[in-house]
Amino acid sequence: MKTIKKIFLRWEWLLILLTVGVFFFFNDLNPKAYTLPKLMGQTRVYMVDVGFMALGALLILLLGDIDISVASTAGLAATIMGITYRAGAPFWLALIAAVAVGAVCGLINGLLVTGFKELFPMIITLSTQTIYRGINYIILKDKSVGSFPEWFGNLGYDTVRDAWFAEEMPGWVAGSPEWIQWIYNFVGDFPVMLLCLLAVFPFFFVWIHKTPGGKRIFATGENIVTARYSGIRTDRMKITLFTLNGILAAVGGIFLAARTGAVKYTHANGYEMQAIAVAVLGGASTAGGKGSVVGILLSLILMTCLKNGLNIVYNDSFIMNLSVGALLILVVLLPNIGQYISDYWRVLKRRKEAAQKASPK
Amino acid sequence: MNGSKKRKTSFLEMFIKNRELGLIAILIILIGVVTLRTPAFLTGEKMLFIVEDTATMAILAFGMMCVMLVGSIDISISGIMAFSAMAAGIIMKNNISVTEVTQIVDGVEKIVKVRESVPLIYLLLIAMAVGAGCGLVNGLIIAYGNVLPIVTTLGMQYIIYGLAHIISDGQAVYKKDMSAAFTEFTRDFSFLGINSKTWIMLLVFAVMFIFITFFRSGRHLYAVGSNPEAAEMRGINVRRSKLLAHVIMGALAGLAGMMFASHDNKITQDLKTGYEMYVIAACVIGGVSVTGGAGKITGVLLGALTIGVINNGLPMLRLTGNAEFWKKLIQGLLILAAVVSNAAIQRTIQKRNLKGRNL
Repeated sequence: MKTIKKIFLRWEWLLILLTVGVFFFFNDLNPKAYTLPKLMGQTRVYMVDVGFMALGALLILLLGDIDISVASTAGLAATIMGITYRAGAPFWLALIAAVAVGAVCGLINGLLVTGFKELFPMIITLSTQTIYRGINYIILKDKSVGSFPEWFGNLGYDTVRDAWFAEEMPGWVAGSPEWIQWIYNFVGDFPVMLLCLLAVFPFFFVWIHKTPGGKRIFATGENIVTARYSGIRTDRMKITLFTLNGILAAVGGIFLAARTGAVKYTHANGYEMQAIAVAVLGGASTAGGKGSVVGILLSLILMTCLKNGLNIVYNDSFIMNLSVGALLILVVLLPNIGQYISDYWRVLKRRKEAAQKASPK
Repeated sequence: MNGSKKRKTSFLEMFIKNRELGLIAILIILIGVVTLRTPAFLTGEKMLFIVEDTATMAILAFGMMCVMLVGSIDISISGIMAFSAMAAGIIMKNNISVTEVTQIVDGVEKIVKVRESVPLIYLLLIAMAVGAGCGLVNGLIIAYGNVLPIVTTLGMQYIIYGLAHIISDGQAVYKKDMSAAFTEFTRDFSFLGINSKTWIMLLVFAVMFIFITFFRSGRHLYAVGSNPEAAEMRGINVRRSKLLAHVIMGALAGLAGMMFASHDNKITQDLKTGYEMYVIAACVIGGVSVTGGAGKITGVLLGALTIGVINNGLPMLRLTGNAEFWKKLIQGLLILAAVVSNAAIQRTIQKRNLKGRNL
């Protein structure tokens, strides 16, 4: 009985419910523009680059820290990629350089956070945010760097159909029942970028939820002192996770560059807050020790559905952000209010019982 | 028990005990470095200009200090600034009346347009009220809804910018829709040679100083921040204190928004995006603890001035190329250096105190 309750009283159900609600609401409003295939195409814009950064944000939030330098890291990594390629290096080298820069940025954050424990990660990453963005600004000035190889530009736009499927539907699909055709089309609509993101999720899920290493992250976030006394090398873990976060930010920045086609010094500006918003909506808490990979995926899907719908209806980024903000606060606030009410009822009940006991019959 | 010999306080310790002294030293060093490069930097006029330029940031930092004292944080202030300035701006725009007056300037008759609207003081009060309202919502969600401050204000940032967009319908308020009193109140008005922005800042400083040092609810902010449970036991209404801090922050953000709007002669819906980070940095350099319960208002003022000197001094350093490009990097490095060096010094002091302790 208790396990059933546990399964159904999960945060993820709320997200799924909201996603379904949002989808059908906008689908009803705009049956032509808001369909599943078109939504799949929009995941490139709303899901992929934020998704990588949100995974990184989840790792940091699990520790109870916060990193607001990810967007600057992403920008710097993409810039390094651009200038390395422009300098004549092969493109794979440029990609490695970008990821390495991301790792170094993350490593610096991690070393500073573990080296100066009395300072808050927020303050440290606030200053490194400015520093990374500043380096980016010095490198690029007010120009932009672009003209990447063709396949890289295609990565930003291609769907699975464009990339791998034949021009016409193969005979075995055309001859098979309708649902197989539907699946064929559905898979064909997947952007390649989205596949790259989705490929990462199983690894993270297994690592964070199913291995001892993942459990150690939760333990550290829950209570760092207890974790250290029970033999977890918390400093090393923090440095590793911050480095990994930097790498994820760099990957996000690279995918964003694939989509935009050029890198300016404002590359990925404001993404740090989006990433944190996605992670929090996915059930992570800035107090640490809470969050799930599945939650991140679901909240990414919810964000995509909501943002795309609002974009179609209002065509206005401010309204879009307003709704995201309201959703963020409501989703976090509602369980607290529920808790408050249930606590209040319990107190009332106890009082009644106590009064009955006290009064002689 | 042997006779407790009073340990001589070292130079280093004096600086730590009195954080403001250290900040003043940093300020003097910064000004000195810039002056070495450009002697014209060290003039009374330039210094006054830096104070004037920093005044708005300082006002915001005073509010942020209150919020950080209770262990909370507010990253929605740039949204609040835009929204409250926009609300007041729209009221001003709707009540604008332009009269043409012939004036004789240098013996030539000229037709001068005089733009009048709602009195300035009402506009400022409206903006502060709107800001306080936003702060109230923040405070209610944080204190009574038990939502973490950074999540709340992150969400509110999005919401408030959206509201600013909705009430303005995407239109900015330009100078032609502003009353003369509004466009001039931060520019032309000065008293004793000091700009009105500085005067407003000094007024807010005085009020906040008195509130936070002598008033009971002001002292409660420190108690709530350093130990919420103990404060609760002591009979302090922790939630109300948090609410109060956020309302103060909101009201000051409204005032600051009006000052920025008047200075820029334009109210846009993305007024000063990302400014909250400078304000938080000013507070941290000024010695306010992010965990709450520690921080002095004089320190915050000096912290804001430090950032002001950095901002204004950097172009004077005449680095290679355009100084604008270097500004961000140096800002970040200096903020990092300030907080890290402070932590390092504090650590040495603690170590030394442990060594010298008489047990």
